[in-house]
Amino acid sequence: MSRYPIYKQSVKVLVILFTIHYSLFTVNAQTVKDLIIKKPTYASCNYDIYPDSVPDNLTPSPAGKKPFYISHYGRHGSRYISSRSGFDTPFRMIAHADSVNELTPIGDRVFDEMKYIMDDTESRWGELTSYGKEQHRSIARRMIERFPEVFRGDATVRCISTIVPRCIESMGAAMVEMKQINPKLRITMEASQRNQWYMNHQDRKLRRGYMTPEAQKAYDAYTASRMGNSRLMELIFKNPDIVKEIVDEEFFNYYLMKMGLFQQNTHLRANTYLQDLFNPDNLYSMWQIDNALWYIQHGACKLNGGKQPTSQRYLLRQLIADADSCIRLDRPGAQLRFGHETVLLPLVCLIGINGFDLATDNLDELEAKGWWCSSVFPMGANLQFIFYRSSPKDADVLLKVLLNEQEATLPVATDCAPYYHWNDVRSYCMKKLESITGK
Amino acid sequence: MKELYIFAVKRLSRLFLGGVLLMSAVTAHGQTVAQELLEDPNRAAGNFYTLPTGKMPKDTPAPKGKKPFYINHYGCSASYYRESSSLYEEPYAVFCKADSLGKLTKLGKDVKLRLELLWRDAKGRVGELTSKGAIQSRELISQMVMRFPEAFNSTGYYSGRTIVQNNCLMTLEETMVQLSSMVQSAQLRITASHKEDRFMDPQDKTLEGLRWDSLTLARYERFLALNTGNARLMESLFTDQNFVINSVDPEILSRQLFVLAGSIQHTDLSGHVTLYDLFTPAEIMGHWKKLNAKYYIQNGACTLNGGTQPFMQRATLRNMIHMGDSMLNRPNPVAHLRYTKEDVVMGLACLMELDNCGLQTDNLDALGDMGWVNYRIAPIGGSIAMIHYRSEKGDPDVLVKVLLNGKEARLPIETDCAPYYHWDDVKRYYLRKLYRYENIRLNEETKE
Repeated sequence: MSRYPIYKQSVKVLVILFTIHYSLFTVNAQTVKDLIIKKPTYASCNYDIYPDSVPDNLTPSPAGKKPFYISHYGRHGSRYISSRSGFDTPFRMIAHADSVNELTPIGDRVFDEMKYIMDDTESRWGELTSYGKEQHRSIARRMIERFPEVFRGDATVRCISTIVPRCIESMGAAMVEMKQINPKLRITMEASQRNQWYMNHQDRKLRRGYMTPEAQKAYDAYTASRMGNSRLMELIFKNPDIVKEIVDEEFFNYYLMKMGLFQQNTHLRANTYLQDLFNPDNLYSMWQIDNALWYIQHGACKLNGGKQPTSQRYLLRQLIADADSCIRLDRPGAQLRFGHETVLLPLVCLIGINGFDLATDNLDELEAKGWWCSSVFPMGANLQFIFYRSSPKDADVLLKVLLNEQEATLPVATDCAPYYHWNDVRSYCMKKLESITGK
Repeated sequence: MKELYIFAVKRLSRLFLGGVLLMSAVTAHGQTVAQELLEDPNRAAGNFYTLPTGKMPKDTPAPKGKKPFYINHYGCSASYYRESSSLYEEPYAVFCKADSLGKLTKLGKDVKLRLELLWRDAKGRVGELTSKGAIQSRELISQMVMRFPEAFNSTGYYSGRTIVQNNCLMTLEETMVQLSSMVQSAQLRITASHKEDRFMDPQDKTLEGLRWDSLTLARYERFLALNTGNARLMESLFTDQNFVINSVDPEILSRQLFVLAGSIQHTDLSGHVTLYDLFTPAEIMGHWKKLNAKYYIQNGACTLNGGTQPFMQRATLRNMIHMGDSMLNRPNPVAHLRYTKEDVVMGLACLMELDNCGLQTDNLDALGDMGWVNYRIAPIGGSIAMIHYRSEKGDPDVLVKVLLNGKEARLPIETDCAPYYHWDDVKRYYLRKLYRYENIRLNEETKE
């Protein structure tokens, strides 16, 4: 063998190493603010929109093994805002200000825009938008394209949705698309109250108890300097000082921003008038406020005992039970679940995907340590567990986790990252569950 | 004078035509209600009778050169669990109480076990599509694709719409997933929005207010009394009639058992459990008559309450006509598949006067004989589908035929090619009908 091919190979390796390093570097170097400048909706956390394409950078299957089973939990796609109250708050304030002739010309335009949005959303509260359907069609299409082995021939696809119409519609959009790609698939769909106990479990006790006095104190201190927007008040109202009696600056700023960003989920997305009233600093402050609140509500926050992620213990147990029984089958196919962000976020925190099990009592740490909720649960967000083996007899089942279709890490040791040994992951999760129930 | 003569002739000929059509309709089905109920008591469930999918209905060949290009469809949900959990809980509770006091006959004890099975089966599923419903949805759309292959191809646009209600939404999903596997590279879209309620599930408080006026209610109550008798059933279930007097409302219990009997056909318990054996054929007929009369008063052109109830669905019919017109120049096939409440489909069938649905009478007792039969109009899985035919794009003579529950239906309109009708005639007839009624309403509402 001449030396030339070796030289060529090492250059190749170097190039590959460099690209990997470079891409990691850029990912890490991106701050939240960079992300918001690039994509303002990132600031709206759970109203953020799923990307319309994802980078094609999956690690090849581990040697000799093939994907044979997919277990998934996905959030519904882009929707209209769930209830009137979110839009009513700023609307009533500005309507009141208008009635006493306190709106500037910009204020008038803002009021008109708001009326138009309210009108458009009427009778559609909480419903899936056409973008939401498109997101699910694309995710389904990519799932088949990336893991064709799982969806070959008359493979089984078992879908379960919560009973909420936007989730049922998301499920339908995804399944219609899958049948377009492979008409032979055997698809079953279910949307039953019977599965709500794990598909959409809201733990009342945890819900009630998340804002402990300590948490409230820390949250107030964290948000104090970030609330308000006097520039916006001066833009919209003739006499900001006078209207303060009828317009709560903090509320108005927060909800108007949400209203503006929310439109990116609907067919009115081309109109960014409201969104453009806010500069990146305003958006960034709102993201910080929201991110902290989501952390207190669903993260392993030490200020309230760190138990909030355990709300998804039933779902995690079900995921394990489903995997256990599916692994015994020759061709288990896929199990797809359609639900909500208030399930997905705590689930990701409970399992500790991508370090989201971060436990701290310092809200300032969240940003530095990468606890960025918008990266977990935009509209259409999804978690996919891809299982690999060489044959049904293979005892060493591997899996990898995709969060929003990107390879993710688990807090479990492995010799083949991004792949993990299922037995290790399973016993890690079981220990976690045992520590919750005390058994 | 001449005008009067023409008028009289027209009137007479219409009467004659009506009479002929009526007779043919009764005999078209070949069987009386009594025979049909004997053959399959599940029919007595009326709107909750599940449309069988086994045999594909036959199609009269279209006039030469005409091909289907647009399907305008309004359908009911496929099989589902009844919406109210109390329907499953209450009768079971009555039997539990009676059992604890030792008041059940041998049959009564057996019924208690059956009720427990039904209750457990429906627990946490009320109002949801059943697995039979999922299969039924897929079979019904498969039949449509097989019957009208020209209307389903890769250039087509297929839009599914539904009211925001679990059973209808799931019926639509199953339908569209099945359709997706049969028509490749087509555009398929699903919409479930309250924004469309105005024609998917129209409301009209004025008509609702007229529905149960005091005269109608009195006539209906008398009709109920004439068709009610629960003593035999109570004696067969309970050993102590004092217990029945003190702890049971025989009419409510009897009705609940009857409704439950009709709901078993939608579930996997069908074929394993029945409750129809508790009733004699005459009692089944009695229950059916009462239910049928109620539906007729609420949705049919019953003259007791003014005969205007079908106009509740006028926005739906107008939408149907509007969509039909909009599709005339579409180069590629389109289907609009919509799923809504049984009441809407039933009212629409009455408004369109399909087959015998336009019947106008105050005789609640003779509805069956006159061919107004709820399970033939809007059963579970039922639908009204208007199929539009043309020879090519721009064809000035578009034909339509209407399928009621998959079978070719008769319209109240003259035609030279039945069961096909000229679109222009159909449109003219219905728009005039709607206009006449809306004009009356406008006059009434502006009078004050």
